[in-house]
Amino acid sequence: MLPDELREALEKQIAHVDHPRELVVDAMLALQDHYGYLSDEAVEQTAAMLGMSALEVEELSTFYTFIYREPVGKYVIHVCDSLICWMDGFESIKNYLCQKLDIEVGGTSADGLFTLLPVCCIGYCDRAPAMLINRKVYGPLTPGKIDQILEKLRSEA
Amino acid sequence: MPKIIIDDRDIEVAPGTKVIEAAEQLGIMIPRFCYHPALGSVGACRVCAVKFLQGPFKGVQMSCMVDAQDDMVVSTTDEEAVAFRKSVIEWLMLHHPHDCPVCDAGGHCLLQDMTVSGGHGIRRYPGKKRTYHDQYLGPLIQHEMNRCIHCYRCSRFYQEFNGYRDLGAMQSANQTYFGRFEEGILESPFSGNLIDICPTGVYTDKPSRYFGRRWDYERSPSLCINCSLGCHTIASSRYRKVVRQEARLNEAINGHFICDRGRYGFSYNSLKQRPRTALFDGQTASIDEGLAVLKQRLQAIVDTDGSAAIACAGSSRNSLETLAMIKRVSQARSWQPPAYLIDDAITAKVKTAISVLDPDLAVEMREIESADFVAVLGADPLNEAPMLALALRQAQRKGATIAVFDPRPVCLPCEFTHLPADPDAIHTGFGAVINTALDAAVVDKLDAPAREFYSSLAAGEQTFTFQQTEIDTLAEKLKTCQRPVMVCGTEIVSRQTPALAADCAALLQAAGKAAGLFYVMPGTNAFAAGLLTDENVSVETLITAIEQGSVKALILVECNPLWQFPDRQRIEQALQKLELLAVTDYVNSEVVPKANIFLPTTTLYESGGIYINQEGRVQVVEPAYRGGIPIAETGNGDHPPRIYDSQIPGVEPQAAWQILAQLIDIGQQINANDLRTDIQHWLIKSESGFNQLPGLAQIPPLGTRFFQAPNSQKHFECQQPNGGSTDDGRLEVLVTERTFGTEELSAYSACLQELANAPCICMHSSDAQQLNLNDGDQVALELNGGVIEARLQVVENMAPAMLIIPRDGKLNWQQMETGQTRIRRDQIRKVE
Repeated sequence: MLPDELREALEKQIAHVDHPRELVVDAMLALQDHYGYLSDEAVEQTAAMLGMSALEVEELSTFYTFIYREPVGKYVIHVCDSLICWMDGFESIKNYLCQKLDIEVGGTSADGLFTLLPVCCIGYCDRAPAMLINRKVYGPLTPGKIDQILEKLRSEA
Repeated sequence: MPKIIIDDRDIEVAPGTKVIEAAEQLGIMIPRFCYHPALGSVGACRVCAVKFLQGPFKGVQMSCMVDAQDDMVVSTTDEEAVAFRKSVIEWLMLHHPHDCPVCDAGGHCLLQDMTVSGGHGIRRYPGKKRTYHDQYLGPLIQHEMNRCIHCYRCSRFYQEFNGYRDLGAMQSANQTYFGRFEEGILESPFSGNLIDICPTGVYTDKPSRYFGRRWDYERSPSLCINCSLGCHTIASSRYRKVVRQEARLNEAINGHFICDRGRYGFSYNSLKQRPRTALFDGQTASIDEGLAVLKQRLQAIVDTDGSAAIACAGSSRNSLETLAMIKRVSQARSWQPPAYLIDDAITAKVKTAISVLDPDLAVEMREIESADFVAVLGADPLNEAPMLALALRQAQRKGATIAVFDPRPVCLPCEFTHLPADPDAIHTGFGAVINTALDAAVVDKLDAPAREFYSSLAAGEQTFTFQQTEIDTLAEKLKTCQRPVMVCGTEIVSRQTPALAADCAALLQAAGKAAGLFYVMPGTNAFAAGLLTDENVSVETLITAIEQGSVKALILVECNPLWQFPDRQRIEQALQKLELLAVTDYVNSEVVPKANIFLPTTTLYESGGIYINQEGRVQVVEPAYRGGIPIAETGNGDHPPRIYDSQIPGVEPQAAWQILAQLIDIGQQINANDLRTDIQHWLIKSESGFNQLPGLAQIPPLGTRFFQAPNSQKHFECQQPNGGSTDDGRLEVLVTERTFGTEELSAYSACLQELANAPCICMHSSDAQQLNLNDGDQVALELNGGVIEARLQVVENMAPAMLIIPRDGKLNWQQMETGQTRIRRDQIRKVE
């Protein structure tokens, strides 16, 4: 169930725009923040609020990398696999993350803290190889830096 | 007009023609996936690459994205273009499962053709193929996503062209998935077109799955007879069974598509319970024996009561040959004038519509797509003539205003303005719109009759309840439009509405607009039936005559009055009172077991026939196959069947017109083709309405239109509705059509039965509130003949003080009194 406060806030926002569907990404992100991921229920709630069909929301939710249609860990690591990061060692960074967290790309670590997802360019080519964790960017990465980052996040969790 | 050279051949094409279309006009089929004439170009699949040698573009370009222009020289065979296309098709085939041997699209698969024509033969990709989970999409369509090449045709058709929102493209890149949010039945009643439009086997026809390859089928151009539009189809038959229908391109009527009712409404043709032998008094007989008994008994009735004691009734699903033969026999034998339509009101409305539809006003369905204002007067397109709804959507997509004046909760796959007017208020409401829309300066220049008609539009009492602002908004749109079309129904409207629609169209034309007129009629051949029927003759009048004792024998020719007549008790009593009831039909309708004599007839697929659609288009259908009991049935699952006979089993049925001809002793001497010609000659000679009917040989494949009203002399005579009905607190009852479940022939299709929602009775929320009823309640209507029980649907978008009952075979709704239009509120109660 969506808390009334959140629903009312969204409805208020929607009432202020000409075409409710222009807020679809905002609504999906808001519901994702609330549920932790965009559940089937959340897709349907988004659709209902914006006068869209569930499919129309699903078309967008599955297109965007930052909308999670499955439960994810507390920290979502988006490791960049785009051109510059790839040239600067994306492959070994990815492998290191997999080994360190004992997961495959797309998986969540056993402690439920980390989910590893690839992303195609986050605009930090100057800091390649780079990754993004919960909206914060890290780079240029080395195995040592990764250890530190993961350790810090673990301790904060 | 641009002139372009493609592969050393030049052609002049209309401005805006794409190179891929210009090539097609030359007979050069450039490979394509995402391009489809009905969907347009998107340039996504890259397989239509050609080389531009000279002109404003140079090099390899997509032929679907470039308009043909002067001085262009294009090569489709240039080495570079060929190599490009070869690479494209190779990468499109990377993940394809190569399961052609078990794929129903195999043999008529665009992907197969393009792979071969693209020159890709050997697979080089060593990687693992991507796979998908398929979805259940309902009883009509089998989903098989692994075969997908991501051309996007399905989602573009489904969402853009067709206007439904439950199928689309999900995910991205290599993982792109076409389907629904959740498994389930597709909402669109046009979903079957996905099968035709998919270039490979992602969507295949489910009811005919694994039945055969395209080349196994006898494929025959055919016609849909499940509503009055007469869309073109292709019927595929195999092993003595029609198994599949597809849309057949027709630029005047249905374009590239058909609705699901039309696509799957053919099952009645091969049903196990289809009656194929003649019967009299419960005994099986040959048709000749049956006919002999019929003749003998008819003679006995003539001897005692005179020939006027015999009556014959057809229906709007008869072919023109049958309709004509019914009349010819009735006249030759001095029987009662034959009835074709269910009651006087329908007969009158259809006759009016025919009489005012003149060549200056009439538009084809495809012309509606380019209208810029469409007024729908008392018609429910999606339910009465589904493809019309799709035409309205295309008009709306191009910016047309669609205004629907109809009391029912009309639903259309596009934006439209709904003014829920009761049948009388359609006049005053739309009258007010036209009245407001035309300037005094324009009106002053009109002829006197047009001017009088114009002023009469505002004269009537304002019986509508919509806001003045709605009228004004529509009037403003109507004022500025150039190509308005009046779409008018003939079922629930008052008797004057068909004439009103014509007069309004004529008035708008007089006011300088290219106005058009389009009717929807009750049944495939209602136009022809309306032409042949006498004024004031209907099934209802025949029933009265039976009750009065003046008619003792009734012959029902492919006519099941129990399906449509609102008073079942009355009609059953009347049928019992008859001394002789003879029925000829190709379906096992409810009247068949009641018949003293039954003679089996053939279907459209076995005998073909002539059908005239609601715009007066005469269309000839050739038989699709020879007929007979399906092999699956005679062989009892075994194949080949081990019955040895010189004759195909189950071909005894004859066309109804052949059977009828024998009642006036002309059937035996001449063969079927000559008899057909003979019927046509008789029609042209004896029926004034048909003297313009073209000869069989002159009817082109697209059909040809013929009109009764020679240019506008009958216009501006429309009367105001009587009004009459004062508010006495009762609810007006409208019995109406649904897309699935109310049309008699398609109701025999099992797959469509699965689609038809449980029939609901509809009521406006204000009435429901007053009666203390809620949406979803089970309600009982206590009527004279019995009780109708159904779920109640409470809606906002309909006229108040009304009750909408679907004419659904499952509802047993025929409990009304003849002519009953109102029901007291205390006759409605909730069932606990």
